[in-house]
Amino acid sequence: MSETPRPDDTPPGLYDETGNARFFAEPAMDRFVAVVMNMAQEMWVQEERLLALEEAEGSAPVDREAKLKAFIDRLFAPIRGA
Amino acid sequence: MSVELQHPMNPHKTADEAARGRFVSGMRSLILNDLAADLKVAYDRRAVPAWQRSHGAPPQSSAEAHKALRGDPAFNIYSAMRVQAQKMVWASVAESVEREADRLGAAARAAGGRVALNPTLDVPKNVGAIEVHLMPGSYTRGGDSLEAGAVYDRGLAVFSMGLMGTNLDDIGLSMSCYIRLKYPDFAPQSILDTGTTIGHNTLPWKLTYPDAEVIAIDAAPGVLVYGAARAAMQGQDVQFVQMCADKLDYPDASFDLVWSSMFLHELSKKQRAAALAEAYRVLKPGGLMLHMELPPNAEMSAFDGFYLDWDSWYNEEPYYKGFRDEKPPELCAAAGFAPTDYFQFVVPSIGIYGEQAIADLIASEAAEAVGQATTGRLAEGVMWFGFGAWKK
Repeated sequence: MSETPRPDDTPPGLYDETGNARFFAEPAMDRFVAVVMNMAQEMWVQEERLLALEEAEGSAPVDREAKLKAFIDRLFAPIRGA
Repeated sequence: MSVELQHPMNPHKTADEAARGRFVSGMRSLILNDLAADLKVAYDRRAVPAWQRSHGAPPQSSAEAHKALRGDPAFNIYSAMRVQAQKMVWASVAESVEREADRLGAAARAAGGRVALNPTLDVPKNVGAIEVHLMPGSYTRGGDSLEAGAVYDRGLAVFSMGLMGTNLDDIGLSMSCYIRLKYPDFAPQSILDTGTTIGHNTLPWKLTYPDAEVIAIDAAPGVLVYGAARAAMQGQDVQFVQMCADKLDYPDASFDLVWSSMFLHELSKKQRAAALAEAYRVLKPGGLMLHMELPPNAEMSAFDGFYLDWDSWYNEEPYYKGFRDEKPPELCAAAGFAPTDYFQFVVPSIGIYGEQAIADLIASEAAEAVGQATTGRLAEGVMWFGFGAWKK
């Protein structure tokens, strides 16, 4: 990515030495955000497995999209209104 | 929501892959709706007043809005999460593409399709060396195998959250419908799509004008191989050819319509000017050049301009802002078109609003009302911006 040309009026300090975008004053925060999102994704995968098992055992089918929205809204509520 | 592609290349996803894709679409919805709204609030409440205190006026441009927001907590969170979500789009489909390589290969061979590759073509840097959209390997991933096309098709299905149609063809369907209704006497017999990738927005033109010979070009080989098979599987006779839009291997006056969608902003300024000049050259008199694109910064507020230009800095779209800073009428004039033959419009998504909405817009002439209310990413509804010119 470091070979990517940038717009002419790009401010300095937008990227790290390998060309990755950085946003937080503490560079580790950028990586930590990615870790949190990956963890949330894996939690959701487990959630869907549980739903599938419960449905296989006779529970009423669950609307995955609605359940996911509630899951994401609940998990990421602390970052709203930053 | 994640889209289930309605063609035989649709992945046979495992339950975990389906869950991962669904999660990424859900995260993108949070980011592009809720966090984007938070970003606008932060801009109005903190960034603009601070910028005004130090500069004596609010941000006047996309670049100034960007500088005003850098470092704001809402900007940091929105941006860091959007970058990661983008990476997760491609990661969520990589395993299924790898696992299904043999099935896809067999299906593609069985489907046939017309494709002509040019192994001697020097693939431009913007196609193969820049990881456009943070897409690993970019458009040339896997060489002339089906890999790049499959990743792009499946990734776009996750990325689009259902807004681009079930076969990712809503832009082409909406635009071709607009042209058919707006210009009922226009009946192209030869159509060229430049920068087609997998042909998702090429096929609607064949559907709209079934008697036309339709050719789709791209510089990357793999997406063409995939696109040709994908088209054949949908019963569409389109020829896919490896070629650069800024150096067309067709004689003058070869086509009635030269089209592109979301393509010009991926070219450098020099390539873009050359591509438009080439479009003019290969058009027949009376022919139409038409491009679906991002709306220009001149039509938008500083914030909305920045909101779109974000991709230029953070989504490996280095030419995106440069294109949006240009003025389409001037680009067309420089390519040879008469200024009076230029037109621009916005068209509602046919998949969401239906053909009648497009007809109503044409009847009211509201489609020509390109501006802040219709073209901003935060504008109501899904509207596609287009511009073009007729060749005398």
